[in-house]
Amino acid sequence: MLDAFPFFADVISYWPQIVRGLRDTILLSATITATGLVGGIGVFALTLSSKPSIRYLTQSYISLFIGTPLIVFLFLLYYGLPNLGVTLSPFAIAVFGFTLNVSAYNARYLTIAYKELDPAELESGRAQGFSRFQVFRLITAPQSLRMSVPALTNQAIQNVKDSSIVFLIQYIEFFAQMQEVASRTFLFFKTYLFTAFVYLLLVSVVVLIARRLERRLAIPGMSASVGS
Amino acid sequence: MALLEVKELVKSYGGRSVLDGVSFDLEEGESKVVMGPSGCGKSTLLRCLNLLIEPTSGAILLDGKDITRPGADVRAVRSRIGFVFQNFALYRHMSVLDNVTLALRRLKKLSKSEAEDRALHELDRMEMAEKRDAYPAALSGGQSQRVAIARALAMDPKVLFFDEPTSALDPIMVREVVTLINRLYLDNVTILCVTHDLGLAKHISDRVVFLDRGKVYAEDRIENLLHRDDPVIEDFFGGEG
Amino acid sequence: MSFIDILLTLLQGAGYTLLITFSCAATALFVGLGIAMARELGRTWTSAILSAWVYVFRGIPMLVLLFVVFFGLPGIGLDVPPLLAMMLSLGLISGAYLSEVFRGALAAVNPNEVLAAQAMGFTRFETLRLIKIPQMMRFSVPGMVNELTTVLKYSPFAYTVGLPEITKQAMALVATTMRGIEIYAAIGLIYFAIYRLLLSAVRLIEKRYRIPGFAEE
Repeated sequence: MLDAFPFFADVISYWPQIVRGLRDTILLSATITATGLVGGIGVFALTLSSKPSIRYLTQSYISLFIGTPLIVFLFLLYYGLPNLGVTLSPFAIAVFGFTLNVSAYNARYLTIAYKELDPAELESGRAQGFSRFQVFRLITAPQSLRMSVPALTNQAIQNVKDSSIVFLIQYIEFFAQMQEVASRTFLFFKTYLFTAFVYLLLVSVVVLIARRLERRLAIPGMSASVGS
Repeated sequence: MALLEVKELVKSYGGRSVLDGVSFDLEEGESKVVMGPSGCGKSTLLRCLNLLIEPTSGAILLDGKDITRPGADVRAVRSRIGFVFQNFALYRHMSVLDNVTLALRRLKKLSKSEAEDRALHELDRMEMAEKRDAYPAALSGGQSQRVAIARALAMDPKVLFFDEPTSALDPIMVREVVTLINRLYLDNVTILCVTHDLGLAKHISDRVVFLDRGKVYAEDRIENLLHRDDPVIEDFFGGEG
Repeated sequence: MSFIDILLTLLQGAGYTLLITFSCAATALFVGLGIAMARELGRTWTSAILSAWVYVFRGIPMLVLLFVVFFGLPGIGLDVPPLLAMMLSLGLISGAYLSEVFRGALAAVNPNEVLAAQAMGFTRFETLRLIKIPQMMRFSVPGMVNELTTVLKYSPFAYTVGLPEITKQAMALVATTMRGIEIYAAIGLIYFAIYRLLLSAVRLIEKRYRIPGFAEE
């Protein structure tokens, strides 16, 4: 396969770095997608709280993270936490920062889906005797999640792409490795073109998985409303 | 002792009272229909009786125990009352069978096979057993309502509440559902039904509780009500009967 | 340096942030509309090429594309100034996303109205101009707002190619004062403020162009 791209041969000769970089990019992307999803569900649950103060705080949090650049928050953590005596590895900072950010977006997508739910179904759940938590777990969450699959998978794709910014807080992943290769070989155009191509491949893999997920998780009789 | 006794039930929002002292009884095996003009409080009444809405004052006795008292077991109350909604409220992300077994498995803690047996028994009664794997979106209104009734019956409730069960259906489906509820009525299932459908009332009620502006205006057999010389009642029925 | 001093210093960079945001947004609008129109009026094979283009530009990270343009192109003889590099990366990517917004909006136009126009004798081009595009624009408002705020949120990366926008100012300040928390919190707030301002501005414009009786999305 490597021989099929003689144009990139110079770059590909650095394959150990490429592989290491890819491993770290995939590790980071997968981690933040998972934590961002769990976090998103949690934040979404909070938006449905019976206490107005919790709802207000949660909405403010969502608004804040959707309205500010991710990189600024990462810088805040990276440069600011040491001042508070907290030392975290770049990976930890990246995961923490991304999780807060991605959770806000996912919570927003779930909330949009939630608006399409039939309130009578939730009332029926209560009428059957299910507790508020059970109604959330058995009806609200499954329906909201399944209706948000396109938006949530889009977010996963975004996570793969956004993982490329973490070199700015000293986490060495694929893009960082490629920058190093570029500066060593002076083949900037080729190297970065190759980088773009690899990201496109990564994204395509996620797109394929996403399409299959969408088919399997769609609620029969309903088209997904969010993000398609 | 009646199965359900409602005493001076009041529900007000701010200064406005939707229910202004409603009282009536429901004996086991009896079937009553609640009717009245819009805004008379009928839907609120049903929802107060299974505590979906908290009453402002008054007492509701289920099997002799006042369920409005603090510390009442809400879950137990709701498992003894089957509730069928106007728009069926089937869980759209689950199959018909799963809709009926959900509460059996999660609330009554039945095993999967026990729950499915009970569910299929009730679905069969409603003639919907063959649609067990279908999803709500694929069902007609009449079919959906039948599944909703099966779902309510599966929990073995002491009384079935109906909130406008035929209002969302076209005339053919209305007949379908009226026939089924009538069959339950003839089986002596205890029924409390809110509706404005006179045909339904005629087929499934022993007595009609006529509400007007939050109060019980009259309670009687439907034929007697229709023949009463009363402006409010005549206004509602519009000269039918 | 008090917090206010910090804010004032940072606000100097805000001008550049707005410049970058609007340049890239304008590019995106131009490109997005162009692609959407080309797909509407074109042949199957042109649509296929454009679909591929859109897929590619939605599949690569903005920072990577920026590096390809700014650091890569000089290697093959093309020197690109920083702002143009931003427009050719963030602008093109956002344009690809916008073209999808427009595609969806175009599909949402009531086909009966299109048929009515054609029955009246309007050409394909005229129907596009008089019926489809006006409605498409109104349906696209949420998507356009979303893209605009996204452009704002990716504008900080302009500092990597030397543009002195807010984030660059912040980094310089942090280097001298070591007050990372305050400074980055401050620019977070500034970005958030710009974000809210943009949202409000759009709401106002939307109100002005509202069609009476037309159901809001």
